[in-house]
Amino acid sequence: MSLSQLMLGPNVVLCNAASQTYPSCNTFTHALSFFNKIEGSQATARQTAELLRSVISQQRVPYTNQAGALIDAVKAIGEQLIAANPVELAVGNIVRRVLHIIREEDLSLTTAAIGGLNLSAVSDDENDDDRDGDSTLSAAAVAAAARSTLRPPSLQTLLEDTPVSAAVPQTSSSGAADKSSRSRKLKHDVIEAVNELIQDIVTCHEQIAEQAVEHIHQNEVILTLGSSRTVLEFLFAAKEKKRSFRVFVAEGAPRYQGHLLAKELVARGLQTTLITDSAVFAMISRVNMVIVGAHAVMANGGVIAPVGMNLVALAAQKHAVPFVVLAGSHKLCPLYPHNPEVLLNELRSPSELLDFGEFSDCMDFGSGSGSPLLHVVNPAFDYVPPKLVSLFITDAGGHNPSYMYRLIADYYSADDLVVQRRATAGN
Amino acid sequence: MWHRSASFILDKNQNDTVYPADSVTLTPPPPSSISTPQNPNPNLNRNMSMSAYYQTRAAHHGVVTSDWLAQSQEAATRAVVTGGQEIVDGGKSGRAFSVIDEFNNWRKQPDLAEAVAAIRALAAVIRNSEAKTMMELEIELKKASDSLKSWDTTSISLTAGCDLFMRYVTRTSALEYEDFNSARSRLIERAEKFGEISYKARKIIAMLSQDFIFDGCTILVHGFSRVVMEVLKMAAQNKKLFRVLCTEGRPDRSGLRLANELAKLDVPVKLLIDSAVAYTMDEVDMVFVGADGVVESGGIINMMGTYQIALVAHSMNKPVYVAAESYKFARLYPLDQKDMGPALRPIDFGVPIPSKVEVETSARDYTPPQYLTLLFTDLGVLTPSVVSDELIQLYL
Repeated sequence: MSLSQLMLGPNVVLCNAASQTYPSCNTFTHALSFFNKIEGSQATARQTAELLRSVISQQRVPYTNQAGALIDAVKAIGEQLIAANPVELAVGNIVRRVLHIIREEDLSLTTAAIGGLNLSAVSDDENDDDRDGDSTLSAAAVAAAARSTLRPPSLQTLLEDTPVSAAVPQTSSSGAADKSSRSRKLKHDVIEAVNELIQDIVTCHEQIAEQAVEHIHQNEVILTLGSSRTVLEFLFAAKEKKRSFRVFVAEGAPRYQGHLLAKELVARGLQTTLITDSAVFAMISRVNMVIVGAHAVMANGGVIAPVGMNLVALAAQKHAVPFVVLAGSHKLCPLYPHNPEVLLNELRSPSELLDFGEFSDCMDFGSGSGSPLLHVVNPAFDYVPPKLVSLFITDAGGHNPSYMYRLIADYYSADDLVVQRRATAGN
Repeated sequence: MWHRSASFILDKNQNDTVYPADSVTLTPPPPSSISTPQNPNPNLNRNMSMSAYYQTRAAHHGVVTSDWLAQSQEAATRAVVTGGQEIVDGGKSGRAFSVIDEFNNWRKQPDLAEAVAAIRALAAVIRNSEAKTMMELEIELKKASDSLKSWDTTSISLTAGCDLFMRYVTRTSALEYEDFNSARSRLIERAEKFGEISYKARKIIAMLSQDFIFDGCTILVHGFSRVVMEVLKMAAQNKKLFRVLCTEGRPDRSGLRLANELAKLDVPVKLLIDSAVAYTMDEVDMVFVGADGVVESGGIINMMGTYQIALVAHSMNKPVYVAAESYKFARLYPLDQKDMGPALRPIDFGVPIPSKVEVETSARDYTPPQYLTLLFTDLGVLTPSVVSDELIQLYL
C-alpha cells in the first residue's frame, strides 16, 4: 500500500477495490472523496451494509437457486472488502451478517412454500401417501434438515446426512408464476432485512445507552480511557436520569483523545478528572467501575480495544473493580484470535510519538542508509483476554464473556466463517 | 486420616474387597475369590480391579512389560468367559449373539475410536434382530446398550457413543419413516457411516487447530492421543516449524510411542519424565492434550497427569488446548477428583512392594474448565462454557 493510500485511510482503499468489480460502487468512492477517512467501526459497518444492499438490489437472480446466486455475489465482493482491510473487523462482520440474512430469508420462504404445498396435497387426495413413498424424506424432515444447515453443527445433527438442499426446489413442483414471485420476494425480504440491519447499526448507541441507568448508580466514580462515542452516550443517558457521578478520564496516549472526551463531559455538566495512562494504577483503588468501548469483540469474549486498555483491565482485576465493555453488535466477530497482538493490530505512524525534525538523525526510516538505532513502534490496538472482562453491554442486553458464542450463533452461519467464493455452485 | 473426601467410606469398602491382605507383588486378585461373598455379578468386581478401557489403550499405545503381558492375558481370558454370558435375547433360541463380543472385536483395532466401536456393535444388534416394529427394535437396542455400558463402566466415550446412538434412533423413528425396513436399513447405514464421521472429525479438528500453531512454537503434549497426533501430523505436513515436548505418561508410557511417531515425521521431539513438566513449562508456548471424555462443566477427563499439567500451565499463563471429538461429550458433572467411578490399572514399579503399602492406581483425572483455554472439536472451536449448551440441546 503506498503512502498516499495510507494517508487516505484503508477504508477508501476498500471502496476503490470494490468499485473495480462493481461499477456501481463509484458513487461511494465519489462521496468519500469529500472526506479523508471513515473512522470508527460504526461508520465502516454502515457503509459496508449499504454497499452490499446496493449489490443485492442490482444483482440479477436466476429462477432456481436465487439464494445461491445472491450468496455468491455477496461473497465475491465481501472477499475483496475483507482482504483490503483485515484489521477492520466490522467489514467482515457485516458481510457475514448479510450472508446469514440471505440464508435465513431463503429458508423461511422455502418452509412457507412447503407448508403451503402440504396443505394443498392433503386436501386433494388421500392416496398421496403412496406416491410419497418415492421421495424417501417427508417434507417435515426436509425442513428440519434445512434448518440444521443454518445452525452450526451440533451433537444433534452429528449422525444425520448432510441435508439434500437440491431436493427442496424439486419437491415444490409449482408453476413458473409461483417461482418468479418467490424470487422477487426473496430479494425484497433480504433488502428489508438489510435495512433493519442498517437501522440497528445506526441506533446501537441509543440502545446501549438505555441500559445505563441499571449500571450507574448515585455517587459513583467511573474510569474510562480514550474516547468512545458509545461511552459518551452511555454517560449522558445516566446523567439525564439525574444520577450524579464523577468520571476519571485517562488521556489515551499517543492520540490523546481522552482530552476531547473530557471536554465534552464537562460541557454536559459532569465532574471530570483527567489523568495520564500511567496514573491509572494509582487511581484505580478509588474507582467503582471501569466503562470502556471496544474496537471489536472476538468469539471467545476477548476484546480488541485501543492501546492501553490491557493496562486498565489488569489494574481493574487487581483491585476487583468491574470492567465493563460497551460494544454494538456489529463489532461482534465470529473468529477466534490466535495471535491477536500481531495479526489484528495496526501499526500507525511514528510521527504521533516523536517529532521527525528533532529525531531525524537517529530514527529508522527504513531507507537503509547509515545505521539508525531508534525504532518506533506505534500499535493502535490492544488485546484484552476474556477473563479480565466482567460484563459486555451490547444492544442485545448485558452478557458475560462466556455467553458471546450464543450471540454469534444467532447472528452468523457456520458456513460463512471463511468468506470465499466456492468454485462449485449451490450449497 | 488418609482420605479427604466424604466418599472415603465408599473407598474403604472397595479397598477391603479388592486388596487382599498378603501378597508380595501387587496383582489384581482373580474375581472368583471375591465373587461369592460380595457380589453375584462378577463383572462389577472385574471393573474395580482393572479398567478394561485403559487396558485396551495400554495394549494399543503403551510399552508392554513381561508381567503386564501376563496380567493382560489373564484378563483377556476372563473377559471372553464372562462376555459370553451376556446374551441379548431377541426372542430366539440357539443363536448366542453377544454384543459384548462384537464390541470387543471392533475395539481391538488400534485406530478405531471407542464410540465408533460401540456404535458398530449396536448396528450389528440391529442387523441381527428379528424385531418387526420400531418400538421392539428400540427396546432391544436399549438392552444391548445397557449391557455394553455396564460391562465397562469406566469408559466414557463408550457410554457417550451409546447414548448418542440411542438418541438418534429415538429421534429418527419418531420423525421420518412409515416403512420399518427402510428405517432399519437407514439406521444401519448411518451407523456404518459413523466410522467415517470419526475419521473426518479428526481431520476437521486438525484443520481448526492449524492456525493456533505458529512457526517457532513449542508444544507440550501428554501421553498418546490419536487426535493430537493428527493435529501435529497435519502441522508437520504444512511445513510448520515447531518443537514438541512429550511427557513419558507413566504408567503405560504411551509418550514413548508418541515420540517415536513424531521422530518419524522429522519433528524435533524432547521426552520428559512426568515430574519435569513444571521445570520446562517456561519454554512452552502451549499445551495440547486429548480427552477421554468431556464433561458437562466443560472440563475434561483424561489420562492421569493432565490436571497437574493444566495447573502448572495456568499458573504460568500458558494456554491449554484440548482436542476432542464431539461424541466424547458426556452427561457427567464431577465435583472433585473422586467423584467419578474408579478406573484402576496396575502399576509396575519394577521392584516388589510390601503389601502394607497402598498404591494409587487410578488411571485418569478430571481437569476443571477454568484451567482450559479452548476445545477443538468437530463442531468447531469451543470455549469450555459452550459444552454444557451443546449437551443440553442434545438431551433436552
